[in-house]
Amino acid sequence: MNSAAGAKVIGMTIFAGMILAGANLAWAHHSFSMFDQTKQVSLSGVVTAFEWTNPHAYIEIDVTGDGGAVKHWSVEMGSPSILMQSGWKFKDLKRGDKVKVTLSPLKDGKPGGLLVQATLPDGRVLGNGPGRGPAQPSTGASNQ
Amino acid sequence: MIQRERIRFCLSIIALALVVSMAGLALAQTKPAPDFSGAWGPYRAGRGADPKLAPPPATPVALKPEYAKAYDARRAAEAAANSRGEPLANPSSSCVPYGVPSMMSVAVYPIEIIQTPKQVTIIAEAFSEVRRIFMDRPQMKIDEVPPGYYGRSVGRWEGDTLVIDTVGIKETVQYQRMPHSDQMRIIERIRLVAPDLLHDQITIEDPVVLQKPYTYTLAYRRLPDYEMVEFVCDNNREYVDENGVVRMRVREK
Repeated sequence: MNSAAGAKVIGMTIFAGMILAGANLAWAHHSFSMFDQTKQVSLSGVVTAFEWTNPHAYIEIDVTGDGGAVKHWSVEMGSPSILMQSGWKFKDLKRGDKVKVTLSPLKDGKPGGLLVQATLPDGRVLGNGPGRGPAQPSTGASNQ
Repeated sequence: MIQRERIRFCLSIIALALVVSMAGLALAQTKPAPDFSGAWGPYRAGRGADPKLAPPPATPVALKPEYAKAYDARRAAEAAANSRGEPLANPSSSCVPYGVPSMMSVAVYPIEIIQTPKQVTIIAEAFSEVRRIFMDRPQMKIDEVPPGYYGRSVGRWEGDTLVIDTVGIKETVQYQRMPHSDQMRIIERIRLVAPDLLHDQITIEDPVVLQKPYTYTLAYRRLPDYEMVEFVCDNNREYVDENGVVRMRVREK
């Protein structure tokens, strides 16, 4: 079974779907309006956990500030199925890895956000599912 | 003499019936039901999509006035909450299944169809939801079906179209927040509109709540090499606060 090819096919389908998604969809697991998608915050830190789970995957990171204080951030991602369509694998991050993430922050001010893209230790830059992340314009799609 | 003519008449009727049934059999053999088995991803209008294959627009939602007021108010409240960045919870926020018909179109997740002569099974990747469509049984009366997420579905072939009749959907299991009564019936017409493109025309009938039936159509594209992914909602970090707002739980460390 050539799952890579399958993923590519569905990736293209999904990207097309993202453009005008909304009309005939069931409501989403949750709206993404809790995140401020007009803002992007970039953080460099150390991974404390990479949770490859449903309904969402998460990157947990410790970010050391200028004064040496460590602040912890929780970064929400798509689901594993969605992430695989943009090249993610469950072993791409592990505790202790250095990672750079760009996220749309929570509007309630808590240290969390929605992943825009991540730069992995090997230099790869991955987004947050088809139609989300690097080199993709923001579509305003809010379904996941 | 009359007796002989009667016999001849009867024989010719029998012969005719045989010919008709054999022709029917031949037709059935030359035109088997199309095979929908496999994985299918959503196909919607947009970049690269063939406008002829895209699903037609949905009909208007025609609720009776006594139901329309609450529905409009809820939609307005939802839009206002989203613009404040405080989305209101829905059952799915807590990983409650979508049910029929919502599970047929959850975001960008694929579905898988397993087709056998006696049963068509549809598995949605999102939340691993399963519905079974019995092909060899009559539908029960609505009042005899215990309300649930998937109800009771029976199917039959009308030429190349799989027609599914579903009753017994719980009133809390809603499509896009549309209210419905225990008298709701869902009729689906699934057919290939191109070799690898499937349409599911979904019509919701509800004599109690709707002024007229509501119809929308979903389109799917065949994903020949796709391996369905498991989906178990065991790490739901969204929670609903005391105001019914969905929030993300962040970790301390």
